[in-house]
Amino acid sequence: MSGTTRQIVEDPRTPRPGSREPRDGQRPAAPRTSPPGSKRPRVSAATLGIPLAYLAVTVFGVWWIDIRPAAVAAGFGDIARLLERMVPPTTGPVSDLLTLALETLWIAIAGTGLATIASVFLAAAASRHFTGPKLVRWLAQGIIIVTRAVPSLIFAILFVRIFGLGPLAGGLAIAVHSIGMIGKMMADVFEEQSPSPREAIASVGASRLQNFVSTTLTRALPAVTSLVIYRLDINVRASAVLGLVGAGGIGVALQTAIGSLNYRRAAGIILVIVALLLILELVAYLVQRAVAEHADEHTQSQLHVAGSTPAAPGWNRSRVLRSAAAVSAVILFLYSLSQLSLNLSRLGQAWNNALALLSGFVPPVFTEEILLGIFESVIMAFTATFFGVLVGLVIAVLSTRHLVRFEPLSLALRGIVVFMRGIPDIVYALIFVAALGLGPFAGFLALSISCTALASKFFTDSLQNIDPAPLRALEATGAGRIQVFVSGVWPQFVPSFIGNSLFTSDLALRESAVLGIVGAGGIGFLLDESVATLHYQQTAGILIGLIVVVVALESVARWARRKVI
Amino acid sequence: MTTPERIQDPDTSSAGAPTPSAIASSLVLQNLGISFGSKQVLRDVNLDVQPGQFVALVGPSGAGKSTLLRLVNGSHRPTNGTVSVLGVNPSTCGRRNLQRLRTRVGFVFQQFGLVGRLSAMENVLMGTLGSLRMPRYGISTYPKTLREKAVANLERVGLLDQRFQRCDTLSGGQQQRVAIARTLMQDAEIVLADEPVASLDPSASLAVLNTLKRLSAEDGFTVICSLHQVDLALQVSDRVVAVRNGSLILDTRTSDTSEEALRAIYEEAKGTRS
Repeated sequence: MSGTTRQIVEDPRTPRPGSREPRDGQRPAAPRTSPPGSKRPRVSAATLGIPLAYLAVTVFGVWWIDIRPAAVAAGFGDIARLLERMVPPTTGPVSDLLTLALETLWIAIAGTGLATIASVFLAAAASRHFTGPKLVRWLAQGIIIVTRAVPSLIFAILFVRIFGLGPLAGGLAIAVHSIGMIGKMMADVFEEQSPSPREAIASVGASRLQNFVSTTLTRALPAVTSLVIYRLDINVRASAVLGLVGAGGIGVALQTAIGSLNYRRAAGIILVIVALLLILELVAYLVQRAVAEHADEHTQSQLHVAGSTPAAPGWNRSRVLRSAAAVSAVILFLYSLSQLSLNLSRLGQAWNNALALLSGFVPPVFTEEILLGIFESVIMAFTATFFGVLVGLVIAVLSTRHLVRFEPLSLALRGIVVFMRGIPDIVYALIFVAALGLGPFAGFLALSISCTALASKFFTDSLQNIDPAPLRALEATGAGRIQVFVSGVWPQFVPSFIGNSLFTSDLALRESAVLGIVGAGGIGFLLDESVATLHYQQTAGILIGLIVVVVALESVARWARRKVI
Repeated sequence: MTTPERIQDPDTSSAGAPTPSAIASSLVLQNLGISFGSKQVLRDVNLDVQPGQFVALVGPSGAGKSTLLRLVNGSHRPTNGTVSVLGVNPSTCGRRNLQRLRTRVGFVFQQFGLVGRLSAMENVLMGTLGSLRMPRYGISTYPKTLREKAVANLERVGLLDQRFQRCDTLSGGQQQRVAIARTLMQDAEIVLADEPVASLDPSASLAVLNTLKRLSAEDGFTVICSLHQVDLALQVSDRVVAVRNGSLILDTRTSDTSEEALRAIYEEAKGTRS
């Protein structure tokens, strides 16, 4: 889950200030019968009920997945034996692997670029400021919700059926799924803008399109660039595993290696994937920092130097860099499109395939098996989140410098987390299925690892941002470390802890829906099988069920966040 | 008091403009009224503004000044009465014609309406979008003649050296002058200014209004400027129109009124509210 499903649009780490405060005039103050501060603060039912409900689901999940200490111990033994067979890793012919790694990159870039272009229009239509027909707005919002709810690997399965094996299906799958996140976040950016420049440019007689480009898009550009780079990072991770369903990229080689029991080569490929992802994460970080610096008004007040005439802007280093970056991005995007094996003669066939698929969707079929599959995905996700959050919290506390002042431990833990996050969830699932056999236990373990990595990353970021002053004050009173944590750290950290835990469970749910593709439990197996055996009515039932569950749980998480934080 | 103290066409010769009979009015409002839901914001407003006049629109907050300017600009449609701006009724002319009309009507906003991360020059160039076909991004995408005109207009408002500076790094007064330069790009025949100096300090306020006054005199465009600062209104305008509780209560030559009389309008409004 480290990358493929980081598609939630809200930043859950941002607490909603004052969400528990009554608004002015909302509720009259009760006559005070006791001195101020003498009453114990009331704990709302939601504050207690939501964690208890989560705990109950986890206990049920432990029973359902059959997580027993003996089974876990035996499982770790099997995994250790498999890992032994992976050492030393080999890569096989490097040129083949390099070609596949590059194909992965092109799929990610093309998909992200296509999604960005589509998202501009969808976000403009879905935004509150859209003044056109309401039907268009609802349609745009609907597309954004559905594309966000369905993971890219599921789109890949459908597009492979339509366009055939290869990177075209992969690129389109990445594009369609990315629209969900980019479109939603872009719409949010548009909505947050002050209406003042838009009104001013409307008042000079500009058309809606001119106004949109000059005021809305221009102002959103730094945020959109940052968002697209972030999404590109996620999409490279997602494209690395698309090959598992035949949609191109390095995942093809991984699946072949594991399928032919060549575990040393599989390990080599995993290391190449991790290296590729870490390098790109670093590049993404550097580019984002540059964009953020440009967006900051104080770093550069003079945008251009004077040119040859007073009306011509001249070229300075910053303008050269900006222009070069923009031109490079466009060239990269166009080149990546050319690498998707787009064959026009195949498009006619694709049209027929798409019609067959869509007409086969009607009427959708909902069987008990489908409901059980979706249920299993939900249970796997929630249970894994519970364990992931607990372990992630311990790691985060141990790797936060101002809580545990032992630098080597902090650095070592951070390194481990970065490496853990570098491996996509489904790759963990592949390994665990090979070691432990088919079933939800392998999926649960895979999800637990990625949830641990993700939660510890979020928690570490939050813990580093808490105000250290109360901690120092408590230490000055002679309080012990645990007392300082409970009284000084935890109250500051709790909103972020809850928000990030819900966010992690949301991501886990999307990922658990695809783990079945490699036999690691949940609805993914049934979905893959329904497409392979042309039972499209069943496919439609699964997709509808999945969308409903994901959107419903997302709403519950939003509600819970409001209630508890 | 809903009847204006003096509804008249002041002699515009004092502002250096032709007499009313010689040319058509810039703006005519007849029995104008607008309601939002059950709230009547403006009622029975009659006004005739001749080309070249600098009209100060005063009145307490919530009196209906901004709504009146937005009716003139076609952003709102009246509930009763008619608006005629440069001979066109913005509420009935259709979207295309409204866009065309807006290219001739400048609007200066209290919050400037600038894109902060772009240069002053690009913001000024945006004033020409109504007369161009395609969307534009970047100074170089505008025709050379317009770029030269933008430089000239920035020089007229005293910001030639800041033309390539990000707008959000300029002072409030400078930003408002960029907004005025943007309006100049339209070659507007009438400029509506909605509390253009409300967020500026007194010296910047006077500088901005003097710039607007000078440009109006040089180019001959009409200005209708809503203001809270009665001293500034008296310094820069040819004519003062006061609105209170949605009604026009004063319409007079600036030379025929005084600071005390205008302050009394605010005091009375305060009394009514309390």
